[in-house]
Amino acid sequence: MRHVARRPAIEHPKPLTEPVLLILMSLAAQPRHGYALIKDIETLSRHRVRLSTGTLYGALRRLLDEGWIERFEQEDTSRDKQAYRLTSEGRRQLELELDRFRELSRAGFARLRLGDA
Amino acid sequence: MGAIFRVLLYLYPQRHRELLGAEMQAVFEQGAQEHRLLGPSQYLRFVLLEVGGLVLHAAIAQFANATHRGYLENQVNGTLAPPQDLPDEVIEAQNRVAVNLNQLLLAISHHQFVQARFYSNEERKARENLRQMQEKYGIGDPQPLP
Repeated sequence: MRHVARRPAIEHPKPLTEPVLLILMSLAAQPRHGYALIKDIETLSRHRVRLSTGTLYGALRRLLDEGWIERFEQEDTSRDKQAYRLTSEGRRQLELELDRFRELSRAGFARLRLGDA
Repeated sequence: MGAIFRVLLYLYPQRHRELLGAEMQAVFEQGAQEHRLLGPSQYLRFVLLEVGGLVLHAAIAQFANATHRGYLENQVNGTLAPPQDLPDEVIEAQNRVAVNLNQLLLAISHHQFVQARFYSNEERKARENLRQMQEKYGIGDPQPLP
């Protein structure tokens, strides 16, 4: 028998992939079902990103596994039109990522100002 | 096109299909309806991107399924799967599946379809071997093989 060692948890998680970030951002405002997510992400990204069905549901499955989003019961929900919403952990992860972006852009602008001076 | 999409969904692990297959089909059909109105070239582009995305993400899902790692554990947190005591033969069989799937993904991403077919066959054999090993040791698979 071999024991598989667990690596210690990383305090600063890796950056989120773009589809994951955009899905979390889209769900931050309100619960949405799959197609509404694709359309909202198109709008959010100013038509730069259109997720394919495979990409969207790959990311949704990961987020469900991780507990960052959950399926949302709606009165008119059918099996093929399920809505999703952020969990408190998902919201926390999104805030962490946006904080990281804020720090990065602050540092980037500071460097630009140094270059201009 | 909906029928082809439905068939392609069989590339995904059974658990993924059961959980999300019907929704994926519905989302694809909504997108197809919208793009059909935009003209043949837009529709063709949509179909190619959808099929490509589906095949790629099915391969990723199979990889995650075979290695029993949560997707986000691989992609976001960078942690390993929970500790488990398994016979060496099973671990080796799991690794063989993972290696072949990894090669398959690489081949697809480089558009090397001859190699992709080769690794697809190798992966199928490795998966069958893994199933036999699991049977031999009476290990129940929490995420059943497709």
